[in-house]
Amino acid sequence: MEEIGKKRLAAAGAAAAGIAYFLICAFPLQKELVLVPAWSRSVSEAPVQAGGTRPGAAKAEGGAPIPFRLGERYGYFTPDGSILFAAPVGYGVATAPDAFAAYDQVSEGFSIKSPEGKELARVAASGYPFFAAGRRFVIGPDQASVSELAANGSIAWTYQFPAAVSAFDACPSLAVFGLMDGGLVGLDRSGAAKLEFAPGGSRIACAYGVAVSPDGKLVAAITGADKQRFVVLEKRSAAYRVTYHRYLASDYRRPVYIAFTPDGRRLAYESPSGIGVYEVRSRSESVVSVPADSRLGQTSRGGEFMVFLSGTGAQRRLVCTALPDRRIADLRVKASQAFVVAGDEAAGNALFLGLDDRIVRMDLKER
Amino acid sequence: MAGPFLPAPRARLALAASFALAALAGPASAMDWPLAPPRLAANFGTFAKGRVVTGLALAASDGLVRSAEDGEVVFSLEDRRHPAGLPTPLGSFAVIEHQKGMAAVYSHMAPGTFSTYLRKPKAGDILGKPGRSGWIEGDGLGFQVFDRRAGAWVNPLLVLSPLADDKPPVIRSLALSRGDKTYVLGETAALPQGTYRVSVDVSDPADSPWTAGSLAPYGIRLAVDGVEIAKDVFDVARGSGGRLSLFSLSSVPVGELRMREGRYALAERLFTRGRTTIEARVEDAAGNKRSASWTVLLE
Repeated sequence: MEEIGKKRLAAAGAAAAGIAYFLICAFPLQKELVLVPAWSRSVSEAPVQAGGTRPGAAKAEGGAPIPFRLGERYGYFTPDGSILFAAPVGYGVATAPDAFAAYDQVSEGFSIKSPEGKELARVAASGYPFFAAGRRFVIGPDQASVSELAANGSIAWTYQFPAAVSAFDACPSLAVFGLMDGGLVGLDRSGAAKLEFAPGGSRIACAYGVAVSPDGKLVAAITGADKQRFVVLEKRSAAYRVTYHRYLASDYRRPVYIAFTPDGRRLAYESPSGIGVYEVRSRSESVVSVPADSRLGQTSRGGEFMVFLSGTGAQRRLVCTALPDRRIADLRVKASQAFVVAGDEAAGNALFLGLDDRIVRMDLKER
Repeated sequence: MAGPFLPAPRARLALAASFALAALAGPASAMDWPLAPPRLAANFGTFAKGRVVTGLALAASDGLVRSAEDGEVVFSLEDRRHPAGLPTPLGSFAVIEHQKGMAAVYSHMAPGTFSTYLRKPKAGDILGKPGRSGWIEGDGLGFQVFDRRAGAWVNPLLVLSPLADDKPPVIRSLALSRGDKTYVLGETAALPQGTYRVSVDVSDPADSPWTAGSLAPYGIRLAVDGVEIAKDVFDVARGSGGRLSLFSLSSVPVGELRMREGRYALAERLFTRGRTTIEARVEDAAGNKRSASWTVLLE
């Protein structure tokens, strides 16, 4: 009897300990992050020109307009699901959140218009416009000269490079151009050269991709062939100096994708094994195992997540990943034309996906 | 009798002094034409729509673009496919390293025709088709030669196989300019003394089978009362300090050179009172020459 009592006591004690463990030491399960569709709109139902109207057509009231290009159509939509217009591209178009400029093949002038269709400036310049970081540029017919435009459309400065331009990126304070002779040239807002650098160490010199951090203090590039190099330069006092470099396994002979995240904490670049991610603070690298043709569709949630769109032809793949390489979403969609952009904080960590004739908003939510 | 389309001995001598020839000294043979038969719509030094051409514009609506020499593909891009969204006025183009330090840019090709599998093309290998991609008005091919070591565009006629040419350049007029006024000599009997820019309106004749437009000459010399004041050879163009300059010997910024379409401002000089004779001597790349002189009274 006494033996049975001891066993019961031990069992009761174990049960109590177990209950106490679950009560005291319980570790809550991590919430799952999911992409939840918010809205879907047909591009075909939007006005076909800026400022155009159609019954039920939207005005730019649902947040800052976001430019898009889907195949041979371009336009703007708002985070709340209003497509301002979707116009045919013609030969080419430069877009930015605040303005766009459509241009002809042998362009000797063009108009800069607001997303609502109001003419902001008339530009008389040969070449093609392109907008970046709130700045407006024109690349000359020789592809070896660049002009920056003032707000009124006049030419603020023109810079002639020693060789044709092969790569470009800009932030508000610095526009960096990679050249086919391998050189990197960084120009400030007055057109003065603040960076002139020719990475060596390769048999063939050529700049395949450049990126500049949002504050202009870091410039990264993929340069040279046989061997190809990844180089990071940092502005120290007045000059840029190499702070990181590595020879790559790649041997690209075409433009290579490279971009800083909007918060400037990381850098993503194309590599044969996926997207290489460079951590600015720790100067360390990792690889996100997404298809090599992926493009970074910006970052989300304070830079913790990266969104990639890959694929050509009729199949596309959207991958949302938490660093270093934790897959949050992996969607395969059928679309011959596609884009992905991440909304800003005001848009609540939304992703906007363009798929042929539709634009879809998806919100990243915890469940 | 058709002569070879090569720089005249004097021009070659001048070029020998330039840095460009140092880079050109290596090859034993000339490059093949990338598009045959060639028809030049514009050549090195031609002003077209306010810009100077730093290569050749070859007119063609069909045919094949071939590698001018053995080489290695450095860079290629399909029209409007740059991942950074950078527009590409060169259209669909490829850069091929042909000799050590000498690269050629084949531009405006028909999209989708460049042989992307090619890594080390041999001379004559098919690269693609001429097209109308990028900033170009008609169908054709752009061909530029870049000397990496000198950091300069080189006149492609210096490295390509010679073409037949026995027609000398044309000198249309010579003018003196001050401020916004231009005085064409021959139409003006007398001028006030002062400092003038001397410009000459010249071109190479466009009536040969291989031409499809008015071309630039190869060399221009100006002399005032027998004293040479300008000697310029269209051999190289160089982007330096944010500006593009022409000529290896005198390095004239393009902005100062261009007066208007077809007119080159080559010198600025103080003209004092009296009768002055100005002579222009022009030659093309084959060595065909023409000269003309004007006399003007400075008061």
